Amino acid sequence: MKIVEKYRIIVLLAGVLFFGACAQEESLTDSQLDYTVPEKTALDNWIEANYLDPYNINAQYKWNQNTVDNTRFLFPPMVDKVQPALDVVKQIWLDSYSAVGGSDFVKIIAPREIVLVGGVNSNSNGTRTLGIADSGQRITLFEVDYLNTKNRANVTEFIHTIQHEYVHILNQNKSFDKQTWQKISPGDYTGTWHLENLTVSRNLGFVTNYARNNITEDFAETASIILTSSKAEYAALLASITDPIGKAKLKQKEAIVVQYYKDAFNIDFYALRDAAEINTNKVINN
Amino acid sequence: MKLKNIFRYLMMALLVVHLSACNSDTDAEQKFDVTPTERLNAQKKELNDLLLSSEQGWKAVYFTDDTQLGGFTHLFKFLPGKKVEMASDFDDDTEKYTSDYDVVLGSTVSVLFNTFNRIHLLSDSDNYPTAALRGKGYLGDFQFLYYGQENGDIIFKSNRLVREVRFVKATAQDWVDLEKNLEMEEKVIGEDTRPLFRFLETNDGTTAKKYDFSFSSVTRFSNSEAIDNSGEVISMGIGYTPTGIVVSPAIEVKGQKLTNFLYNDADGSFTATGTAGVSASIKYSNAPLVLTDDYKLLLPGSGNNVYGYIYNLTKFEGANSALFLSLLGNSEQAAGAMLTRVQLWFNNADGTNYIEYRFGDATGATIARRYHYFTLTANATNKTVTFTPGVWKSSTAVGAPAIATPSFLKNLDDQFMNPQGLYFAEISGLGYKAYTFTSTTTPFRMVAYSFQ
Repeated sequence: MKIVEKYRIIVLLAGVLFFGACAQEESLTDSQLDYTVPEKTALDNWIEANYLDPYNINAQYKWNQNTVDNTRFLFPPMVDKVQPALDVVKQIWLDSYSAVGGSDFVKIIAPREIVLVGGVNSNSNGTRTLGIADSGQRITLFEVDYLNTKNRANVTEFIHTIQHEYVHILNQNKSFDKQTWQKISPGDYTGTWHLENLTVSRNLGFVTNYARNNITEDFAETASIILTSSKAEYAALLASITDPIGKAKLKQKEAIVVQYYKDAFNIDFYALRDAAEINTNKVINN
Repeated sequence: MKLKNIFRYLMMALLVVHLSACNSDTDAEQKFDVTPTERLNAQKKELNDLLLSSEQGWKAVYFTDDTQLGGFTHLFKFLPGKKVEMASDFDDDTEKYTSDYDVVLGSTVSVLFNTFNRIHLLSDSDNYPTAALRGKGYLGDFQFLYYGQENGDIIFKSNRLVREVRFVKATAQDWVDLEKNLEMEEKVIGEDTRPLFRFLETNDGTTAKKYDFSFSSVTRFSNSEAIDNSGEVISMGIGYTPTGIVVSPAIEVKGQKLTNFLYNDADGSFTATGTAGVSASIKYSNAPLVLTDDYKLLLPGSGNNVYGYIYNLTKFEGANSALFLSLLGNSEQAAGAMLTRVQLWFNNADGTNYIEYRFGDATGATIARRYHYFTLTANATNKTVTFTPGVWKSSTAVGAPAIATPSFLKNLDDQFMNPQGLYFAEISGLGYKAYTFTSTTTPFRMVAYSFQ
């Protein structure tokens, strides 16, 4: 027998031993992890029916330290404030985008989780953080306890937060034309935006003081302010700008926003604004 | 070596490895009888069972950070279905509210109050007691890490600041008495009817040591500086109880740690008693802790010195006592005009002293004056001055006639003419030179601007 033949059997035997060696009969027991589904409240069922099932978005109102900034002193919203807030978000934001962008639009590009926080997220420089968008996956909304659905200014500020954060998420999916934007008001961005004067900022071609933080915020502010204003309100805003150069700059930014929505998502931006306005009126008047 | 041999040895070595491989003793040495998951689950169950075990729930005086804030009493009644009833003495609302809780895994097993209730009031970034705590509220946590049990108490540590929080079994009476904590707060702040000076006194059984006591009710925190100029300061957070206060950190006297003070309504004092004569008390006093020679500025030979209350300057100082402000208000109401000045003149050119009461209209323009002349005697031992009342006049012009005592000024004026005398001492930190006139027997104190 050749050496190869001779050891073929041994190799085969070794292989069998190798693979069959450590077989041990051990049946699986039940998981030690608690996988019982917690009892659902009416609110939980509402969230499931209005957010989770249609959009695959979870709305988290119970505290979980892993989804909030632990260095901030925040607290969960009052339970009875959760549904009104989520309802406002659904009607003005989700329904408007669905109506204009198609029913699947927000299902595809959307945060997978909305975290609700009751109080103000106050910063040491005296400003408040109204919302945060994390990696396109999660939007945190603050001041849920203070939302008054009958107060237009209050609703607009709240919705402005989610519109603003959602623009970030859209940008994180498809970037806007940063190079062109950068050239519009290159020298006017500042880290101390909160110390600026709104009239001065508008005359420089910024829609808000916060827009002066950087170009990403500028884009999100420009888009979200237009989305939360009626056509007439935005026209009045433009009319209040006395510096023609500033006005031209803001119009140029508006044009980029409109083009971005068209090119990236085939959405008519003005139709979206009109839908949001109709839905806002519906919320306040109901 | 031949290839055949190499192969043979190799195969033999492999066989040995195979045959010895299935030694069942492959597990790492077990430190515990059960797996980590089982142990965590057991601990979660232990904590949850413990929380549910107390019939009347639990009480915790939560000192969020006893280097700058006091204690906030919370009562918790844990219910099946992960519900919790809670009440707190954070503010006037001591009612019971229901919310959710959960026992979750944080850095260890912890109890988490996951929907809004009273305890979250301590963690509102927008409601902060001092400028330094802007954006941080009262530094409160509402997730507490389980550190075991001690004498029937549950020991937790707060999630972020890692401060010990002790859950003590509550009684039915605790729930009834919670609102009394806020009545006690008034006693700690100090009532208007009590003397103006307060001190913290420690006694080690033989000697007593005094500290100037000060308390801020917004932070529930107290700083007391030793009056012996040693610079020693006792700082402590204060929590209210129905019968007194509880402090953290403990006051240490002769190795004994004193935390629980009982209130005595007879004299408004709070006392914590140890053993062997050791105690600590917060007491009232009519006399300042430190007497000064400032009264000599008022004596003949010190010059024509003038000190006055000014309606748009000294009125806003915290050192004006409530009694002074109320007597001032009464006089204004009775006179139908604002007192723009209450100005004390000493050693005038003609040798007189008087108090000038100056009345003005709403703009402050003077409309009338009243003068009460007095003579002055000093007590060098007590370091006080006593004014002996003389005539009233409506002008200081030579030959101006005396007038009857203006009834609308009498009660206010009587405080200055106190036969037991007044303390006179400089007050600092106002941004201008000022002194206080303080009664030796009543809670009357007026801040006076120094014109020289």
